[in-house]
This record gives sequence, C-alpha cells and structure tokens, in this order.
Amino acid sequence: MTDRGGFAALDPCVHCGFCLQACPTFLATGDEADSPRGRIELMRALEAGELAPDDPTLALHLDRCLGCRGCEPVCPSGVGYGRGLATARALITARRGVPPLARLALGAMTGAGVSRVVYALARALRTTGIPRWLAGWGRFRFAMGMLAATKPVRNAKSAMRNRGSPVNSAFRTPHSALTPVSLFRGCVMDGLFSHVHDATIRTLEVNGYSVREVPEQVCCGALHEHAGLEPDARRLARLNIAVFGDGDEPIVVNSAGCGAMLKEYGHLLDGDGAPFAARVRDVTELLAARGPRPGAPIDATVAYDPPCHLLHAQRIAEPPERVLGAIPVLRLVKTPDAAQCCGSAGLFTLLEPAMSRAVLAPKLETLAEARPQVVATGNPGCLMQLGAGLAAAGIRAVARHPVELLDESYAAAGYYA
Amino acid sequence: MSRDVASLVDTLAEIVGPGHVRTALPERVTYAKDGLPTHRRVPGVVVLPGSRDEVIAVVRLLGALGMPFVPRGAGTGLSGGALADGDAVLIVLTRLNRILKIDARNRLAVVEPGVVNIRLSAAAAPHGLQYTPDPSSQTACTIGGNVAENAGGPHCLKYGVTATHVLALEVALADGRVVELGSPGGEPWGPDLVGLFVGSEGNFGVATRITVRLLPVARAVRTLLADFTSLRTAGEAVSAVIASGIVPAALEMMDQSCIRAVEDSVYAAGYPRDAAAVLLAELDGGHEVAVAADAETIESVLRAHGARSVRVAADAQERERLWLGRKKAFGAMGRLSRDLVVQDAVVPRSTLPDVLETIARIAAEYGLTVSNVFHAGDGNLHPNISFDGRTPGLRERVEAASAEIMATCIAAGGTITGEHGIGLDKLRYMPLLFDGDSLAAMRAVRRVWDPDERVNPGKVVPVHACREWAGTRNAERGTRNARGNARSDFRVATSGLDT
Repeated sequence: MTDRGGFAALDPCVHCGFCLQACPTFLATGDEADSPRGRIELMRALEAGELAPDDPTLALHLDRCLGCRGCEPVCPSGVGYGRGLATARALITARRGVPPLARLALGAMTGAGVSRVVYALARALRTTGIPRWLAGWGRFRFAMGMLAATKPVRNAKSAMRNRGSPVNSAFRTPHSALTPVSLFRGCVMDGLFSHVHDATIRTLEVNGYSVREVPEQVCCGALHEHAGLEPDARRLARLNIAVFGDGDEPIVVNSAGCGAMLKEYGHLLDGDGAPFAARVRDVTELLAARGPRPGAPIDATVAYDPPCHLLHAQRIAEPPERVLGAIPVLRLVKTPDAAQCCGSAGLFTLLEPAMSRAVLAPKLETLAEARPQVVATGNPGCLMQLGAGLAAAGIRAVARHPVELLDESYAAAGYYA
Repeated sequence: MSRDVASLVDTLAEIVGPGHVRTALPERVTYAKDGLPTHRRVPGVVVLPGSRDEVIAVVRLLGALGMPFVPRGAGTGLSGGALADGDAVLIVLTRLNRILKIDARNRLAVVEPGVVNIRLSAAAAPHGLQYTPDPSSQTACTIGGNVAENAGGPHCLKYGVTATHVLALEVALADGRVVELGSPGGEPWGPDLVGLFVGSEGNFGVATRITVRLLPVARAVRTLLADFTSLRTAGEAVSAVIASGIVPAALEMMDQSCIRAVEDSVYAAGYPRDAAAVLLAELDGGHEVAVAADAETIESVLRAHGARSVRVAADAQERERLWLGRKKAFGAMGRLSRDLVVQDAVVPRSTLPDVLETIARIAAEYGLTVSNVFHAGDGNLHPNISFDGRTPGLRERVEAASAEIMATCIAAGGTITGEHGIGLDKLRYMPLLFDGDSLAAMRAVRRVWDPDERVNPGKVVPVHACREWAGTRNAERGTRNARGNARSDFRVATSGLDT
C-alpha cells in the first residue's frame, strides 16, 4: 500500500454518527456535509480520487471545519479525524494554494521579521484604547474587539508592573531543588500576550520550577498546518527541535494551540519529533503537578472555557481547574456548553467569519445567563474570540488566561518581592 | 443538471432559502449512507427546511410535480431506510430541532421531528421527567427518526418502545395535505392511526410535530453487571431473570469481542475482558427498599445461574459509565475492522442460548468475526459482523452469513427486525416471513396514505413479491408475483461510487 498519510487514521469510522452532536458546525447548519462523519466521507472520496482536491464544494466544507477535534473524544472507535484533516488540507492546498487573506494573515502573525512590526503596531494601537471603544460586530469591529481583548488587566493589588519580579525569598524554593523547564513563547502569545508569559514564569517559580528562555525558537507551525502548508510546518518543527536541543527537560507552553501542535511533532515528522513531543507540557499540567500552591483570595465568579486544543486535542481537562481551584474564594461556574468550540480556531475567525460567529453565538448566550466576571481560557485565539464576543454582546466580563488569575492571587499573597 | 431539476432547485430555494438546497455532488455524497454503510445511494437533491411550514411547502411542491422524496433525520438508522436515489429529493429534518412545549403537569412534550432524543430528556429533567425510549444512538438520533422506525432501546423492556410513548402526530401526507393523528388527551375514537404511523419507516408521510409522553425519572435505581464464562450460561440466565417474575428496566448482553472493543475505547466501563459475556441488568422504581429487594433477588438468580461475579454500581457515575459502554458499543466496532454490518433480529427468549451458539458456528464456518451486543431481555439480537471490504469476495461472504443468521432466527420462531426496521437491507428477508397476500396487504395499507408510493419509495415491502390483491393496483415497477412463498430477487442497488 502507498503512503496514505493521515487518511489511514480515518479507517475505523463505521458511520455511527455519534460525533454529530459534538460538532459545532453541524449544530450551526444541521448539514451532514458540515459534520465530522460527512467530512470523513469527503476525505475518503478525496483519497479514492472520486472527488478532486480542487473541487470547490469539497474545499468549502473542509474549510468550514474548525479543526476543534471535538469529535475525537466522543468517537468510540478512536478515529483520528485531525490527522485525516491535515492530510486532506495539504492535498487541497497543494492544488489551489493558500487563499490570499490566509497568506496575508499567516505572514503578519508568524513571519519572523514582519510579525515583530505588526505586533508592535498592534500594541501601540491597543494602548490608545481605541480598539476597545470600537469593539462590536462586523468584520472590522470584531477584529478591534479581538485586539482589545489582548490588553493586560491591571489590578491595583498586583505587583505586575515589574516584569520578571523575583519570587519573595520567603517563598522561594532553594535553587538546587528547582526543576528546570524551557519556555515556548510562540508568535501571538509573545507579540500580544507577553504578560501571560510573565505570569507563567512567576507562577512556575513559586511552584518550584526555574524557567529557561530558548532564544532561537520559531513559530510552532500550527497555523501553517491548518492552512495545508505541511512542508512549512515540518520545516518549523525541525528548527524548534534543533534549538530546544536534546535532553528531557520539560518544554512548557501556555497556548493550547501551540501545545497541541508541538505534541504532534512525532506524527508530523514520522517519528523524528517524538522525543521532543514527549517533553511538551501545558503550563497547567506543570502547576497542577505541584498542587499548585494556594494564593490569596480573589472574589470573582469565573467561567472556565476549555480551549479545544487543550481539552480535545491534548485531553487536558482537570489541570486548569486545579489551577483556578488554588485561588481561595474564587467561584468556578460551569456552563453547559463550555466544552464546545468558541469559533476562534486559529485563522478561522478571520477566514470564515459567518460560521465563526454562528458557532460563538450559543456560547455567548449561556455566558450571558451565567454572568461571570471572568471567562478563563488558555489559548490566545480563544482569549481574543471570547473577549471580542463578550464586548460585542455587551456582557460585562473579561477573558483571561487561568495563569493570569493565579499570578494575581500570588501577587496579593505577597509571594513576589 | 437538466432544466427540470434546475427549476425544481430554484423553487425549493425560494421556499427554504438558497443556502439550504444542496445539489453539488460532494454534498449529496455525504448523505449517501446511514448507520449501515454497506448501502450507498446518492440523492438527486438534498433540501434542509427550517420550519414546519417549509416542510409542508416542500412536500406540496414535490406532490404537485409527482416527485419521489425521502425524509431523513440524523441518518443513524441501521437498515438503509433514509437513503434516496438519484431521482428523489432527500428532505433532511435536522433543522427542525425545537422543543415546542414541555407540559410537566400533563407529562407530555411537543417537539419538532429533528429534536435529538437525549436533548428532550435533558429538557424534561428539571421537571423530574424523561423521554423514556433510549436507543443506543440517543445522543445523535432524532425523535422523528425514532417515530419512523418505532425505535427501541435498553429501557424499552419495561417501558415499551416508541409506539407506547407517542400520543399524537401532525403529518404531512405525500401530497402536502396535513392531518392530525391521535390526541394528547387520551385515546381518540376509531382505529389507532398513530400506532399505524409509528414504525412506518417514512412510507406514510412526514411527521412535522410529535406529541410524546414523558415519564417520571425513577427515584430508585440499581444497576448490576454480571459476568459469565460461557455465552450459553449467560443466555440461560436471561430466561431465569425473566422467570423470576421481576421485570427489569433493562437486561442487556455483550459478548467478549464486544467487551474488548468497548474496553479499548474512551468509553471503557471496567467490563471484565476475560468474560465470555456480561449481562447488564437494571432495576428501578419509586421506592429504595423495594428496588433494593428486587436487585437482591436478581443478583441471587444471576449467581444461581452461573454468574462468575455480580457487581452493583456504587453510584450514579458508575451506573452512567456502565451504560455508556453499552450504548457506544456499536460505534466501537470500528476498532475491530474497517467495515461493519449490524444485524437485527428477534427470537423467543428461551431460544437465546441455542441461537447464540448457532450464530457462533455460522461465523466460524464463514471465517468471520461476529460480536454480539443486544437487548437480551427482549430476545432482540444484534450480531455485528466486522470485516475488511477491500478483501475480494468478503462482502459476498458477509451477505451470505447474514442471510444464514436471519434464517436461523426465523427458524427459531423469531422475526427479522426488532427495532432497526426493514429499510433496504431487510427487503430480501420479507418473503421468508410473509406470504404474497400479507405483503400485498401491507402495500395496500401504504397506498391508503401514499397512493403513488412516492414517499421513501422502494423500502419496506418488496413489491416484486406482493401477490396481486383485491383493491391493489399493480404499481408500475411491480410484476405479477410468483406463486407461493417466493424468495425475493430484490437486489441491493449500489451506486457507481460504491467501494
């Protein structure tokens, strides 16, 4: 048999349909062609040559897949939907290329030189407060809302003005007992959420880790893979593997999308990336492994919204709740559709705005009912999508990374010097 | 696309909106199968109406044009019943997913046909009520589809299948006329038309509104897992449980192959992998003490009849895990091989041990893997045959083994479907069970509802095998039937896309 790539992972599908109700796009349209089972049919027909990779209808329905992989954890047969999708998208992209808007966004967000300028401009715009003011529905105003959602929340009690504020000596683990970890910074996280990186470093140090920077690292390649640019994703993966070096020191990541991609390096590079992938840990995994240490109370109602690439792709459910659970008084509310995608899905929110908003809408309804002050989620795309959605819907809540909240709690507890 | 089709598509788009008519091949291909993917038919046009009025308008239009059509819910059926040929329109009802009313005081709900089974129970739960029929696909299947197939489910042993729970229906007939059947307030005068419609497999029209009975959620529940070292012993224990005089809410069996597939999946429930079979028995009722006493009785019956161990679910979480494993078992069969045929037959309960042994013998003779997961308390078997359809000649072997299993069940005094329906898949077995007169009678009844046989054509009754019967015209494609109990030569059609 020839190399079937990710298509072989679709073989266990026996068409039972148990995935249908787990698919946000099927729930939005009711159309089998927008469901995992229907898309598997399309991918099988693509593999068999019955449908051509440049068939516009085939592409439409595969493009409309969020790649949230919500179908995977409910599949009794363990179909590797995500792997099949990656192969199908690579075939489609090889034939039609990357759409111009996707190409532009990819360059602006991940291009080594360009993105630095783009993020600097974005931060400058963010500082003016104009994006918050413009936030709303519609393509442009939603984008403004997304940018506004990246702005760090300043809290009077926190000592977060000093970036790498060292841990107060009274709460410091002796240096010899620290567990060294390397930080994966990513693109959007580093460009717009550097305050989450700061919080990651501080909270890890309080819990007995020392965080090492790896200067030469590059983009994880997730957005490239979603766009069907597998060769680019492989190139980036090889670069990252080289700069992070050998050894078994954990690689900590606070973006669920990057984490899911880094953990896939083994499959992406046919096994070569497996040792690297085995080292990758979400920040909440490392924190939960140490408790984490409880902080000072925060009197707030928090809705935790698990990122798909954390819950479905990495199957990490409990650690983020343990992190939030380490904050006394904080009330964690569970909304019934929390586990469903918010519609962000990397570039999806820019490329498929109508479907993206349709997927977001039911979530905003349940959040409006639950009335939290904070929606916590551990992925830059979700933070921006939810933040923009909350602003547009007029819901008085902000989207924040769970680690930010823990950091605030630690600052109030006097753990930082 | 011919001019006729193009103008049909335009008119459909005027009714439902252009975004809800599907004509491109890739989109139609995704509707070519249901939960029994050995049958594959690509519909001519797919339309997704968004409201009752749109459904009625679409049906009226197709009636005026004399076009055949097929109603479809979530497409989780297991007999090829919701497939449409290239000359037919597939009406997909997933967008009609509103729960219109929950009347807790009168314990009933009014729903649109596309409401997913489990969502109705979830919506009724705050009132302490549930929609009781619980097909294993309940997380995906629709109430409309349940009505069409008269769906069963584990808890139908005690509470009855779908027909018991449907009070009234609003139906769009083949020509778009709307009729009301039954009454939410009680039995209406006259023949039981609701009973006739439920289980008609989409042959009598499209249900546009469904009024169902809700039952109180049982206050006390005990779930028992018994494991056995032989299939025969497990089968005998089933009869013993029923003979005890206690009616369990559910009594399900899974064999070793099935247990292992489930235990390898995310739905692993802790079934013992080395058991030849497990029985899952549930007792429920309104009083803790009474249910506990029943559970003790059943536990001792199971032990007396060869159970190696009996485990009682400690809490609601464990109970749910035991049930999820059972209900997702069908989907887990994909772990065994890439292709799957699930069969559905009913045998008298007392014959279960013999029939199970015969099925195992047939499987061995044909060199096939057969896994059993089924409603043991009803004698409703589901042999699952796993195979790799790419192997030359294997599909034919699977078909032959299926036919032999079906013949075994009939010979044991059983019948060819318990809950999956006839659809396309079982057409060939109908003449084994019914003579030409009976089949013609069924056809005559169908023609009362749908004189042109335009709704879900070619399903359920094999027209070739019908005896010409007073009051029945021969349909165009029907031939004068052969004499006696003729075997149907109805072929299972495959499209050019079949793999």
